[in-house]
Amino acid sequence: MAGVVPRLLLVLLFSVITQFPLLARSSSLDLQITNAECRIDLTSQIVKVFLTLKVENTGTSPASELLLAFPPRQVDRLALVKAACTVGKKKKKTYVPLEVKPTELPDAPNDTKLFSILLLNPLKTSETATVEVLLILTHCLEPFPAEISQSESQLVYYHDSAIILSPHYIKQQTTYIKTPSTKVESYTRVEPTNHAGTQIIYGPYADRPPYSFSPIIVHSENNSPFAVVEELVREVEISHWGSLQITEHYKLAHAGAHHKGVFSRVEYQSRPSISGVSSFKHLLARLPPRVHSVYYRDEIGNISSSHLRGDSRKSELEIEPRYPLFGGWKATFVIGYGLPVEDFLFESPDGRRYLNFSFGCPVVETVVDDLTIKVVLPEGSQDPTAVAPFPVDQHLETKYSYLDVVGRTVVVLKKKNVVPEHSSPFQVYYKFNPIFMLAEPMMLTCVFFLLFMGCIAYLHVDLSLHK
Amino acid sequence: MAPEAKPIASPIPVAWYPTLSVFALAIGLVLTASFFIYEATTSRKSRSLTKELITGAVASVFLGFGSLFLLLASGVYV
Repeated sequence: MAGVVPRLLLVLLFSVITQFPLLARSSSLDLQITNAECRIDLTSQIVKVFLTLKVENTGTSPASELLLAFPPRQVDRLALVKAACTVGKKKKKTYVPLEVKPTELPDAPNDTKLFSILLLNPLKTSETATVEVLLILTHCLEPFPAEISQSESQLVYYHDSAIILSPHYIKQQTTYIKTPSTKVESYTRVEPTNHAGTQIIYGPYADRPPYSFSPIIVHSENNSPFAVVEELVREVEISHWGSLQITEHYKLAHAGAHHKGVFSRVEYQSRPSISGVSSFKHLLARLPPRVHSVYYRDEIGNISSSHLRGDSRKSELEIEPRYPLFGGWKATFVIGYGLPVEDFLFESPDGRRYLNFSFGCPVVETVVDDLTIKVVLPEGSQDPTAVAPFPVDQHLETKYSYLDVVGRTVVVLKKKNVVPEHSSPFQVYYKFNPIFMLAEPMMLTCVFFLLFMGCIAYLHVDLSLHK
Repeated sequence: MAPEAKPIASPIPVAWYPTLSVFALAIGLVLTASFFIYEATTSRKSRSLTKELITGAVASVFLGFGSLFLLLASGVYV
């Protein structure tokens, strides 16, 4: 009885102490960005923005959240946000990834969308840190003129802001824009601005208040292939007898300036440097090594203009659609291939099996507007779950295939706005009792045995009319 | 991915599928032939039901596995 009271006091004291960090959590707007460097890469249809932010804590309490703001139009086009913190000095610099998640701030103006980055360790007063952010935006380059003829070059608009939009106070900032070629039709001047070769430099600007925005438009030439897969359905069928069968249905389109006028094949083939500079006719798909039975066909039939090269580390399938793709033109085709199951199916330590496969589109440098991956698990699989490194929509379906009685469970993963940076592995876990593999030969054996029983029954039954 | 992940492969090496299918189907068809020869050569009274059933069962097992390996060897991974 005597020992209970001090123990209770100790528990009370401990619970009070643990409340202190919660009381001391400060507003993250105490963080001030001392130097911001924004590098925008416009060389392909996918716009990559690299932000290097030097952050200092000017408040009185430790802060652990850095906020990023985006205008509502840009948030819809945002495919990926990645943040990393540099640790260590010059030669031994390592990047530690940081968690980024969408957040809300009550006093943000005009539907600005916010993302918050959680720093590794909370920054104490007047402590600094360097955070590197990568943003990937799709469908950001607007072709202008919207329609071009075969012999014209493609020019695009890029809308952004010379001042980086941020809820924090930025002491000094510079924006560097890299254009695909030296030909820049026009760009908005926000002094001091400089244009040299393929770089347009906005800045340095000093002492800008939070949420300041200065819209700019850069009109430049961009003849890189604007290959967009509007819809991609990938079906991965797992067979425990040794093979993974993948079928991919593509709806490919050229998302650049629309082609107007006549397509002259003679002009296209005789002057390739002037005619059809923004069109593309080859696509490269990177497949895993040891791929077999590759086919490339569409609704008309097999397309023979393809090449498959492979070594022990990767296979490359180079496909050429039936016609070159100009602005606004579409092509639909199916690519299928088989892979050995032991490269992708593993047993986890808790006894479940899992498929380790790569998400994303195997065709390089393309944007996928709508990606669906269906993983067909063998009959008799239970408790399927999928684990992916980024948020995806999942649901289950049933598919009836060869020698199926109850149907196969299909795990369907859907994602919109997929870029090549999303090509990382995802896992699908399920439980499977190996004895179920015998179900298929037993089914065939039963069918043959029923035939034999039928024969025996016929030969034993006496169907004669007279004795 | 767990470092001790064990890859799962087919219980029977894939390279054996064509050979196994040929042998299993051959034995199964020989047994089917022997079943029908037995039916054709013996008279109704002297037939033994046990012998018929056993020959039929063993023949159907071999034919079942043989046709499974035939499907796998021809690329229909069931």
